[in-house]
Amino acid sequence: MSIRHALLGLLAQKPRHGYELRAAFEAVVGGSEAWDVKPAQIYTTLDRLEEAGLVERHSDLGEGSEPARRVYALTEPGRAALHEWFAAAVEAQHQRDEFFVKLMVALFSGEAKPERIIQTQRVHLYKEMHAMTTLRDSYDPRCAMAQILLLDKAIMHLEADLRWMDITEMRIEAIKGQPFPEPEIRPRGRPRKGDTGSTFPPPGSVRSDQ
Amino acid sequence: MTIITTSQLTKIYGSGPTAVTALDRVSLSVEPGEFVAIMGPSGCGKSTLLHLIGGLDKASGGSIAVDGHNLNDLGDDELTELRRRKMGFVFQFYNLIPVMTAAENAALPVTLDGVRPAEAQKKAAEWLERFGLGERLNHRPDQLSGGQQQRVAIARALVAEPQLILADEPTGNLDTTSSDEIAGLLRQVSKEYGRAVVMVTHDPRIAAYADRIIFLKDGKVVEETILEKKSKTH
Repeated sequence: MSIRHALLGLLAQKPRHGYELRAAFEAVVGGSEAWDVKPAQIYTTLDRLEEAGLVERHSDLGEGSEPARRVYALTEPGRAALHEWFAAAVEAQHQRDEFFVKLMVALFSGEAKPERIIQTQRVHLYKEMHAMTTLRDSYDPRCAMAQILLLDKAIMHLEADLRWMDITEMRIEAIKGQPFPEPEIRPRGRPRKGDTGSTFPPPGSVRSDQ
Repeated sequence: MTIITTSQLTKIYGSGPTAVTALDRVSLSVEPGEFVAIMGPSGCGKSTLLHLIGGLDKASGGSIAVDGHNLNDLGDDELTELRRRKMGFVFQFYNLIPVMTAAENAALPVTLDGVRPAEAQKKAAEWLERFGLGERLNHRPDQLSGGQQQRVAIARALVAEPQLILADEPTGNLDTTSSDEIAGLLRQVSKEYGRAVVMVTHDPRIAAYADRIIFLKDGKVVEETILEKKSKTH
């Protein structure tokens, strides 16, 4: 996903300046720690949206000594694009999982004990989950439900990672007894777009949702 | 001074060729006010460890001290008294008495210790009010949700003012939201009221509330992870 739909949504609320959009975007995604967006990215996106006719730009004469600023407003085609986005489902993110790769490399290279790698990762995830749980419980549900929901999501993902790790640990011996993927079983040429490019382990046997 | 110290603690069930070592030379300590989670796969010995700490089972080897008392040296009556005064227990299925109200249930440990019922229930009501159950003192367990019943059980564990709470899968029978509430409450018991809490759980989400996680496997401690440095609140 890009930031464009979020910007369209913020402009549906009311016309805004570029810097104001950036601040509003950050507030909506849960702070710059959650999603750090550079001012240049905001302006590039706004330029593209303007070219596509989804937003229009006005000049705002600054009040008093303030300089004139560009104000962006949503157009009707912009509103239609926003509603298309609402109507469509969001693709689940199939991330490239560095931990999974590390575990596989440990298994086939014999350079590190997989059990140790799992434990190191587990400890790290628990620390992160503790920090997030503490942070979430510091928020007041009467006024910070958005932050709480975002942290809930992160905590639940960490929980899923930890459960997957427990299962994986129990299956280490079984994995050790299986042949590892060789280059020739990969299809020739570039993997099709959207293909994970991986034939081992079989699709669906590992966590596919992030 | 630690609230729990175990040294080479061992538990073997059965004898001869069929003997099973449930706990294998476990040495650990728990500080006052600390919140510790014990985790590990089924059969790793986590419940056995909790039972030994709680004086519900006898060690086969090694030693265990709770608040300076070596449990091996105590007779049955002394052990019962230590359990009633120094420890509070929280179980997966709450173990409340169906015909008693929330206040009567929570008051039970001190009533059994000879405190007059009216006084015991006043103490119980104070804990129940702290846990948001002030309006439900006269409700019976079947009139309460699972999360509320577990809060009554935690109030019961605290009514004798013990410095140690032992919780065995306290969220094992609860939905996600109630589980978080109970885990948060146990954390509050540790942080706000300064009691040591030792909790056995298989739920990573719940273990993340603790200050420290002890991982057991095949009866041995495989890892101890500090999630939060002990704060000087007491």
